[in-house]
Amino acid sequence: MSMDELEVLRVRDELLQAMYWMHSEGISSAPTAIELSRFLAVPDTILTAYLTRFVEDGLLEGSGGRYVLTDSGTESGKRTFADEMADLTRPTHGECDADCWCHDSPEAAAECLHERVGGSHSG
Amino acid sequence: MNGLVAAIPADPTPAQVLPKNFLRPCLLLLLREHPAHGYDLLERLRPLGFSRDDPGRLYRALRALETDELVRSIWEKSSSGPDRRMYELTRKGMEELHDSATALMATDEILKIFLSRYSEFVALDPPARSRSRRGSD
Repeated sequence: MSMDELEVLRVRDELLQAMYWMHSEGISSAPTAIELSRFLAVPDTILTAYLTRFVEDGLLEGSGGRYVLTDSGTESGKRTFADEMADLTRPTHGECDADCWCHDSPEAAAECLHERVGGSHSG
Repeated sequence: MNGLVAAIPADPTPAQVLPKNFLRPCLLLLLREHPAHGYDLLERLRPLGFSRDDPGRLYRALRALETDELVRSIWEKSSSGPDRRMYELTRKGMEELHDSATALMATDEILKIFLSRYSEFVALDPPARSRSRRGSD
């Protein structure tokens, strides 16, 4: 099954952050696909394909139906958490300058415009 | 189900009959008391009627609160394990907590009326006593 690479990136960030949080809070360091799907409230049938992909990418290790963050996965999960917080302090579209997040990619620009037109963007 | 009628279980736990989205003001309240880690919040939610069995629900709620800028989190370094997220309330979160508390006060008045009218028929025991009596039957 081919995967939308943007969706892969989104799920990767979401999943690695969640697994890092579970690990750091002592909830689980080696959850199963079912436990992760409950935790994130997504169907395990969908999540399993992504888990397989992230094992192939070296972000997770899978053994006996359980998944553990690799060093790379741990670093990524922790970093994306921090990056998301940085997003909240970035300028909104109305405060656009050369560093505005809407210049990051065509998708970001489209999303920014959509939010602005939809009235939900504070800019 | 038409969406207006909630499915009430035969033997409901407190969390199953609490107002919808009650977790949200509870988290704001706990963080108003003091900043906390996720695990600490899980423990402190128990007296408010929430089970520890669904940490994912807490995680998703915290993420939503953070996205809404009602809560912010920072890394707290640990010498004995992985760094942990420490959550704290923002000014906006404090305002929403106040609005929620005001709304809950109105709900409380309605519940008092309901219970007062029901007590015309049956005198209710406090929940803990009811449970122990049932267990001894």
